[in-house]
Amino acid sequence: MASKEELLKQLSDGVVEYDEEVVKNAAQSFLDDGYPALDGIMDGLAAGMVIVGDLYERNEYFVPEVLMCADALYAGLDILRPHVPADISTVKGQVVIGTVQGDVHDIGKNLVKMMFDVAGFTVHDLGRDVPLENFVEEQMRTDSDIVAMSAMMTTTMLGMKKVVQMIKEKNPDVAIMLGGAPVTKDVASLFGADGYAESAGNAVQEAIKMISRLRELRQKEH
Amino acid sequence: MDDNKAKVIFQPSGRRGEVPKGITLIEASRMLGVDIESLCGEKKVCGKCRVRIEEGFFEKFGIRSRGTHVSPWQEEEEKFINAEARKSGYRLGCVTKVEGDVLVFVPEESRAGKQVVSKAARDIHIECNPAVRIYYIEMDPPTFEEPTGDFERICRELEREYGLKELKSDLLTLRRIPGVLREGKWKVTVSVWMDQEIIRVRPGKVENSYGIAIDVGTTTVAGYFCNLNTMEVIDTVSLMNPQCKYGEDVMARITFHMTTPGGLKRMSDDIIEGLNWLIDQAIQGTYPPKTKKKDENGKTVKDADGEPVMVETPEEGKTYLRLTREDIEDMTLVGNTAMHHILLQLNPEYVGLAPFPPVIHHSLDIRARDLNIRINPSAYVHVLPNEAGFVGADNVGVLIAEEPYKSDEIQLIIDIGTNGELVFGNKEKMISSSCATGPALEGAQLAFGMRAAPGAIERIKIDPETHDVDYKVIGRDAWRQYSEAKEMKVKGICGSGILDVLAELYRAGIVTKSGVFNKKQKSNRYRKNVDNGQPEFVLAWAEETSIEKDVVITQKDVRQIQLAKGALHCGCKLMMRRMGMEKMDTVKIAGAFGTHVDREKALIMGLFPDCEIDKILGVGNAAGDGARAALLNREKRVEANWVSRNVEYIELTVEKDFQQQFMEAMQIPHMKDAFPHLEGLVSEEILHQK
Repeated sequence: MASKEELLKQLSDGVVEYDEEVVKNAAQSFLDDGYPALDGIMDGLAAGMVIVGDLYERNEYFVPEVLMCADALYAGLDILRPHVPADISTVKGQVVIGTVQGDVHDIGKNLVKMMFDVAGFTVHDLGRDVPLENFVEEQMRTDSDIVAMSAMMTTTMLGMKKVVQMIKEKNPDVAIMLGGAPVTKDVASLFGADGYAESAGNAVQEAIKMISRLRELRQKEH
Repeated sequence: MDDNKAKVIFQPSGRRGEVPKGITLIEASRMLGVDIESLCGEKKVCGKCRVRIEEGFFEKFGIRSRGTHVSPWQEEEEKFINAEARKSGYRLGCVTKVEGDVLVFVPEESRAGKQVVSKAARDIHIECNPAVRIYYIEMDPPTFEEPTGDFERICRELEREYGLKELKSDLLTLRRIPGVLREGKWKVTVSVWMDQEIIRVRPGKVENSYGIAIDVGTTTVAGYFCNLNTMEVIDTVSLMNPQCKYGEDVMARITFHMTTPGGLKRMSDDIIEGLNWLIDQAIQGTYPPKTKKKDENGKTVKDADGEPVMVETPEEGKTYLRLTREDIEDMTLVGNTAMHHILLQLNPEYVGLAPFPPVIHHSLDIRARDLNIRINPSAYVHVLPNEAGFVGADNVGVLIAEEPYKSDEIQLIIDIGTNGELVFGNKEKMISSSCATGPALEGAQLAFGMRAAPGAIERIKIDPETHDVDYKVIGRDAWRQYSEAKEMKVKGICGSGILDVLAELYRAGIVTKSGVFNKKQKSNRYRKNVDNGQPEFVLAWAEETSIEKDVVITQKDVRQIQLAKGALHCGCKLMMRRMGMEKMDTVKIAGAFGTHVDREKALIMGLFPDCEIDKILGVGNAAGDGARAALLNREKRVEANWVSRNVEYIELTVEKDFQQQFMEAMQIPHMKDAFPHLEGLVSEEILHQK
């Protein structure tokens, strides 16, 4: 029987090497052996994704590899997540995410969504070509803490400004993240957003950093 | 001096002048007529506009230039200017604002070079049936018995002789008729547009009339100056689209309109001015070149003002048509939907937002003078129809030139520009689509990417054994291996070289199928960049360049090319699937570098799914050919309108598995699909690597 550390390594390696089978088997064994599911997610799957982020940053991994790693991660998450007791979820946050109206590109958005999933957020994915007011309505309906919007084209990026205004008017405490190829730090602050990610890749890194911080917090708690 | 103005001098061009304080160096350069490269349209992302602010007092110009005379350093600049360069005064032209007198040095690599345009006319079959036809008529002068008016007299004769009925004429033409009739002693040549309208009357018998077909590309504008009667292409003229200064791609232009009051009109005025310049070029070409007049002693003869006297110097054996702008009696225009809209000042905003509807599909006939286009003022400009928001009149041009809708063969036509347009099908059914290839294939956003101008690497071969590189640059016929290092004068790499480089890096095993640099390298050309630790591969060593640094292709560059080629490949594949087809009979590659594409390399890099190499054809600027076909054969205009509404446009990005397909297509040549036609071209171990 593999030790906990060995199983965690298998989960992590499986994600990095985008091997869904390895991840699935390791996740099942992890549960069967009675280890806490949340450890498997944070110290196995998420740890693997942090490595993936490094590889991406060094341009060794590219979008295809990251997407395959994401698939592997989801394979593990599907098995482990149902076994995380509701009251000890890492983050009790909710996030509304979508690609803004007029834009149909959503690869970057899906990657960011995954990061939120891993981190334990409840994600309300509005999909793509989302009418601007839907972001506002969904935030109100769910009382989410974060609204994350993505635009791939400069033309659609301009719509995000309106959403930021609409949301901030109603609820100034909501954190707003913008992302997508044409979005720069300047644009984000000009639009009144709280955070930004320069590109899909950058979003991945930002989100991975976010997870890294969560893991650090957890380690401190232990 | 006005407190709100500052003196700016650009070197090495020496252009100088006073500009309002607060404008950027790029804006100042534009005002003073200096071309600084700005591929991204001042979005602070391309880093191509690096300039150096000189420190000190420059007696020659009487100014004190300092780094503090411009706006403070911005964070964005760090990406493109390292600490050392920053110390020596380097800044980005699009970020840095003029706040006092400055002397600005524009380094070689930041100067926008003159582009080498290869949009030559191809020999395609066109039937002669122009929209403007000329008719010679002889009339009796009016008498007391028969005092009919001049216009009706012409119409009566045209009807009697040629069966033309119910003709009309505009006021401008009408004003000229009485004089011309009498000058020609009642024998005249009449130009009639579409058998409907008299647009010109000339005295006597004239055999020829002329027209121009223009393809307005996002980057390049090409004009084909034709004889409407003999169908001969008299001249091909081209220029860089003057709107490039507002941004390199269609989206940047649309954004400029959305964010700048009056921006649409500015861009429209610019392109119209460009078209007029192009027309002038074509007209000037019908006269002998002028040279300075010399006296018996070989000294230049000067006029009263001391200016040299110019005389025509005809080439021996050449006849010159000596035409005027008035002689251009017809014009056709093609362009992508955004270029179409901007030129006509139709709001392009919605073309840039899903689901991307154009303002109009149908073709337009617009009086030239209403567009301020300086050809015969009564002539019409025929603007070809649009298919969809991202598949415009230029693609209709490609279609009527290639006529896949008349063929049994299943054709895939790829028009590679800043935006990639795809057409797939045969006479049974045709579908079209577009994909965001981005500017990478045209050189933008790559570390050493550049336009097709002298000094650009356009062909590359890499030895699989030694990893040594041989290449050819624009402006020099001999390859590197047959040249001295200093003769190469490399500045960067352009579109066709970019296609070559990915294929060659892969074939030589320098990058793997996934696009990452291989751990096993055979030469010192592979290295990690000292500044950022990124892997890179040297294409040309510093001593072979005119910019005194190694020209490299970086890991990030490879990724950019992969994104572009992945988009095209995935587009082709999804279209084939939509049509329920496994393969195509022919692949046609159109676009400015259509004829320059090495088809073997295109297949190796996996620009499109596997097919027989012999069935890959470069068709050059097919959009321009289509514009020419519509100019010379009016039936083609009818055909164009039919085609534009009968090709089904499909939006690829909303296909369910787009993401999966796109990601598979980014690998070289493809993540999963077999490429049997590469057997023998690429070694076993490379082609079948995991």
